[in-house]
Amino acid sequence: MVSRVDVPKGGFNFDNYQRNLILQEKGFSLPKPTKTGTTIVGTKFKNGVVLGADTRATGDTTVMDKNCFKIHYLAPNIYGCGAGTAADTDKITKMVASQLELHRLATGRESRVATALTALTQFLFRYQGHLGAALVLGGVDVDGPHLFSVSPHGSTDKLPYLCQGSGSLAAISIFESQWRENMERDEAIELVKEAIKAGIFNDMGSGSSVDVAVIEKGRAEVCRGMEVPYPTIQKVDSYKFKPGTTAILSESFRNFVTITEGDAMDIS
Amino acid sequence: MECIFGFTGKDFVMTATDSTVAQSILIVKSTEDKSRALSKRILLLFAGESGDTVQFAEFIQRNVRLYEIRNGVELSTKSAATFTRRELADNLRSRKQYSVNLILAGYDLTTELPSLYQLDYLGSSVSAPFAAHGYAAHFLFSIFDRYHRPDLSLEEAKALMKMCVGELQRRFLVNLSHFTVKVVDKDGIREIAI
Amino acid sequence: MSGKNCVAIASDKRFGVKYLTISMEFPKMFQATDKTFIGISGLATDVQTLMERFRFKINMYRMNEERDFEPITLANMVSSTLYERRFSPYFVEPIVAGLDKNNNPYINGMDLIGCSTTACDFAATGTPEDQLYGTCEALWEPNLEPEELFETISQTIMSATNRDCVSGWGAVVHVITPERVITRTLKTRMD
Repeated sequence: MVSRVDVPKGGFNFDNYQRNLILQEKGFSLPKPTKTGTTIVGTKFKNGVVLGADTRATGDTTVMDKNCFKIHYLAPNIYGCGAGTAADTDKITKMVASQLELHRLATGRESRVATALTALTQFLFRYQGHLGAALVLGGVDVDGPHLFSVSPHGSTDKLPYLCQGSGSLAAISIFESQWRENMERDEAIELVKEAIKAGIFNDMGSGSSVDVAVIEKGRAEVCRGMEVPYPTIQKVDSYKFKPGTTAILSESFRNFVTITEGDAMDIS
Repeated sequence: MECIFGFTGKDFVMTATDSTVAQSILIVKSTEDKSRALSKRILLLFAGESGDTVQFAEFIQRNVRLYEIRNGVELSTKSAATFTRRELADNLRSRKQYSVNLILAGYDLTTELPSLYQLDYLGSSVSAPFAAHGYAAHFLFSIFDRYHRPDLSLEEAKALMKMCVGELQRRFLVNLSHFTVKVVDKDGIREIAI
Repeated sequence: MSGKNCVAIASDKRFGVKYLTISMEFPKMFQATDKTFIGISGLATDVQTLMERFRFKINMYRMNEERDFEPITLANMVSSTLYERRFSPYFVEPIVAGLDKNNNPYINGMDLIGCSTTACDFAATGTPEDQLYGTCEALWEPNLEPEELFETISQTIMSATNRDCVSGWGAVVHVITPERVITRTLKTRMD
């Protein structure tokens, strides 16, 4: 018999493609991938960048995750918010983060936002928009604060403030009416919070709470759940069942044992 | 329209296949054997697209034999089922896939137990006390649910087999005149008359 | 579902094609390490293929590293395996549930291309996913003891599968505690 040990060659694997086409013809429905119908925003301020995101992930119309984290780490001084297919934004940012880490270790220098931008756009362009990842990329490097948006096809925009995702229309209205140049840090955070809340309240695909990341020269701060418009209300009653409620047909136990061999090593 | 099915007994598995080969609306043969022996005590029943079925069954048969020759040990029924399932599942990813439904019946000398596996063309495999493919399943599962016991004796199994065949011949639209019934036990595979 | 220093994972046992039930003993979960289980819902052939692949990877990891997968590492492995096939996915939705080395509960649900969702409370997949989320939201509460968790997860899966005509026909529950794994099969409706 031929050995079936397959070592991944790297890159995507298309083995199931033909079969899945046939299966879909026969009427097997593909489970829906999780999307982040999202509101993500970013703005520059006097000496840094603020990024914001909501925390809802949806699969079709079901809320798959009520508190997911859409502000992805890319480097200590660079973060990126992701909208679109959740798996794509997750994996692409993770991949670029590791490339940047290796680059830093090789060069001994702080990563530049442009490096992250190039890595992301070149990768996305190669897949011609089939990777559904839209990103808001923000960071501060030797050249100062930067803010970019990246589309799934690999095109980029460089703007002082921007929004992406299904809630971007609601969020941009806040920026259009209230944004000013050279805002203070607290002003910028407040504006980002308002923009995300506009998305949360007016867009079905966005919801839950507001996450914010503030990046300045030499420090980055990520705040999970900076504002929670609808905190979960504690249940008033307990719905515990009495032990023995559920009828059992069979039962088995697998006990763990701790094996200690000899005396503990003297490490004093 | 093909029927293949089987069930386990106390220390044997009993299987049946219809013996009809049809092309379009015409019956061209009524003495076809739709099974292959994978080893002394493992029998593979197949139904599906003609051509695919025999090709695939004999491919599995030869590979199981090759394994025996290379390693000097016989495959257990479970191992044979796992191998067959994987071949089907991998083949499913090719341009032209096999369209074969299978039942694997075997008796293991090591455990001294009979076992039965039902595999479909998509490459899913289940171990079951009784199995049936195609339209037969709709007729037979209810009979098995009612009358099958894991400790059936050979005589009781023959009676059950008669009920199954009788039901198919009485209620199934398609005329299946003859069934090949086989028994797999510690002595090997043999055809029996019911 | 997570509890106080324990987690539970449950699945039904039906295997069927469309409306025809073929088997009522189809395992959809397997023990990956001592304190971690993987449950996979979806197309049966892919469930079985992936179980084989995961078992292979888990065994290779154990032999190479001389230690077991931590639940979070395992979830990352499962996620990468699925994302590798981003454009030709397996039709499955796995759940990883277990206790980490400090016996803290870890639960992770994934979509078919490996988008993982770490939950502090519960994760659900399969045909009655919507029903499961509903019952989970209603019945789950924090800090359940192992026996309480067993009752809650059992009642949850039974209520949900009773509202889904293609799942049910028996159920298995594993409760993983620091001391032992308790496995119980449930008496359920068989219709």
